[in-house]
Amino acid sequence: MTRVANYVVAYEATERGNEAIELGVALARLTAAELRLCLILPRSSAVPAKVPSSTADFDSLLEEQGREWLAGAAARVPADVTASTHLLWADSTSEGLIEAAKNFDADRIVVGAARGGILNRFSIGSVANALLHASPVPVALAPHGYRAPAALTRITCAIGTRPGWEALLDSMIALSNGLSVDLRFVTLVEVDAAHGRPAHPKPHPPQAGHDHAGSAHAGSAAHLVAVLDYFRAKSTARGTVKTEVATGSSVEAAVEALGWDPSEVVFVGSSRLARPSTIFLGITANRMLHALPVPLVVVPNTHPHPAPPTRIPPTPAPPARTH
Amino acid sequence: MAHTPSPGSTPDTSSLPAAGGLSAKGLRAGSIGLLGATVIGISCIAPAYTLTASLGPTVAAVGTQMPGIFLVGFIPMLLVALGYRELNNAMPDSGTSFTWATRAFGPWIGWMGGWGLIVATVVVLSNLAGVAVDFLYLALAQLFNNPGLADLTNNVVINVVTCLVFMALACYVSYRGMETTKAVQYVLVAFQLLVLVWFSVAALVAFGNGSAFDELAFSPNWFNPFLVPDFSAFAAGVSLSIFIFWGWDVTLTMNEETKNPKTTPGRAATLTVVIIFALYILVAISALMFSGIGTGELGLGNEEIQGNVFAALAGPVMGPFAILLSLAVLSSSAASLQSTFVGPARTMLAMGHYKAFPNRFATISPRFKSPGFATIMAAIVAWGFYAVLRVLSTDVLTDTILTLGMMICFYYGVTAFACVWYFRAEAFRSARSFLLKFLAPLVGGVILSVIFVTTLIDSMNPEYGSGSNIGGLGLVFVLAMVLFIAGVVLMLLQRRANPAFFQGKTLTKGSSKDL
Repeated sequence: MTRVANYVVAYEATERGNEAIELGVALARLTAAELRLCLILPRSSAVPAKVPSSTADFDSLLEEQGREWLAGAAARVPADVTASTHLLWADSTSEGLIEAAKNFDADRIVVGAARGGILNRFSIGSVANALLHASPVPVALAPHGYRAPAALTRITCAIGTRPGWEALLDSMIALSNGLSVDLRFVTLVEVDAAHGRPAHPKPHPPQAGHDHAGSAHAGSAAHLVAVLDYFRAKSTARGTVKTEVATGSSVEAAVEALGWDPSEVVFVGSSRLARPSTIFLGITANRMLHALPVPLVVVPNTHPHPAPPTRIPPTPAPPARTH
Repeated sequence: MAHTPSPGSTPDTSSLPAAGGLSAKGLRAGSIGLLGATVIGISCIAPAYTLTASLGPTVAAVGTQMPGIFLVGFIPMLLVALGYRELNNAMPDSGTSFTWATRAFGPWIGWMGGWGLIVATVVVLSNLAGVAVDFLYLALAQLFNNPGLADLTNNVVINVVTCLVFMALACYVSYRGMETTKAVQYVLVAFQLLVLVWFSVAALVAFGNGSAFDELAFSPNWFNPFLVPDFSAFAAGVSLSIFIFWGWDVTLTMNEETKNPKTTPGRAATLTVVIIFALYILVAISALMFSGIGTGELGLGNEEIQGNVFAALAGPVMGPFAILLSLAVLSSSAASLQSTFVGPARTMLAMGHYKAFPNRFATISPRFKSPGFATIMAAIVAWGFYAVLRVLSTDVLTDTILTLGMMICFYYGVTAFACVWYFRAEAFRSARSFLLKFLAPLVGGVILSVIFVTTLIDSMNPEYGSGSNIGGLGLVFVLAMVLFIAGVVLMLLQRRANPAFFQGKTLTKGSSKDL
């Protein structure tokens, strides 16, 4: 029996929670996954106060409210997506979500990241931030005001040269297997007035700064060729594949320089600072977030789930085209 | 698990398997041992804060009989707490004086019981913040070796604004649903106990080498509460003693959270009270021996220092280490200020939910899952109360503590009688029921009623408390009356606006027989 993928959606009865549902719906449609809408309630402990804080009383009222909120959440999921709702108690929201992802054997956690910042599309809230430092499964972040498109048509993968990019690529391959979706591989090159240096979604050593803008660009392009070879050897995705090198005076500018499609998502790997199988959002990825108008999925260094059983595609993948 | 998104569909709120640290219930079951429960018990009482606020008023009421009154004052607290525990076991889904009293006596008395609890906590919030303000400036003065800084607290505007800052911070932390971690609790408690013992030893040493302010030789008679001159003084002393043990009963109701619900709460409560007794008696005796009960500069009878004794005694007793005492009281009162927001906010939330308060009080913050509106209201009212009193009273802290004693007597009394009445059908079924569900709460309730009525009558005297008065009536009496009448008026307004609760539609009256 084929395992049905499932995504934990971090729900709260706010705009952020709704954005998480929207992104969950978009991803679920792409991969035929099920959603687990999870509302995490704070588990209270004895409060050292002069007055008993009547936890039992409060907890039952909170639970009642939580069920109402979840009913509202369920009503937001369109008919073509399967979703279940879950009321969970935990010490903190991020711990509860991680625990839920483990217990459901979930493939990712979807969370609304925006806090309603006006200038930055992404301004990471505390829950998303905690997840980005500890989640064992990929974390998908919905930007402010996100609404699910009818279908996701393109996946962009922001890829660096540091060791570990294969893990990100493997996760892309697993996800896009047999799907009709366009793929785009990009590297970001930061160019300052004196000399350019390639910026990857990973922190890099200072000596990289001595490269000249031109050579940085060329180096990135060459790396993308290697990426493409690796990908072609393993992928069975149906759809066009292209690569791009984006340059800009800053990571943010490089991100702006790329064209973005409302019906795409971006994948990045997590920083080398992460313990194996957990996420730690690197500096570059963090800065990317500030300029990104589309959802971002952050993938841990080593995906803890074994890749789903490889399905033999009925037809060979269409010839990929390099840009 | 499949879900059809038809409008009004019931969501499948299934829980996760119990494994993996997640439980279907909100309480963290079985996580607290004897030590943890005792630490929580001592944190609830906040001894450093409690002593600085109550030593002065208690000496003013009963003089050298303070240690004896502390011992006697524990009795009504113990009797009522036993009843509390029975109610908590019988109705585990509701935990406030409001719901218990409503179940036993119906909506009107239930409403006033809830009001008493809210008022008492709001008053203690203002007192906690007031003490924190005093000690903040005292600690700054000690830190920078500049006594002028300590006087800033006497500037009404600076004082009230600083108090607002403390309130806002504590309210924000509660609103965000943050909790003090166990490690912080342990450190705060250990620090308080250590510094208070240090203070006592230093005071005794000063007595021994003749450098005490007003040497008063120890006498075993101090332990005899019946040497208090008259019953009014005795009642005032017991009322204050209830304040100093306030919070102790919380230990008894920590059932599910403890590792062994059958034995841990009882043992922790006993251990807590033994430690607290030892500490209070030690501090009370050493303070008496060092300062005496005169009205001199550092005398415990001096009205100027009564509301906040440690602020005056820290320097003379502990010398260069006085800042430790300031930090102990500051941390104790600030931590208690923050945690005490939770209780009234949740009671107001429950009252809002049962339509006893306007609906807005029932709102839960979707982000932080805390009673948002109720928490903010508690902060605004507590600060407003403090600000008004700071202007009206010559010694705001003393007057709030005396008012507080009365309020605690009131809502504890209502709860004690609620216990007697709720269990009336099974009171004589066994010796245990008779003692715990009937006799203990009944005697406790009667004692509290007598204390309440006596202090209420005595407080009409304009000389009562700080000696502030309005139209010839003592400020403490006026305050208590304003608070009670405001409660009755608000209750009638709510009755008009939304009678559902008062018609018994949201929370029904009953007794243990119905279960």
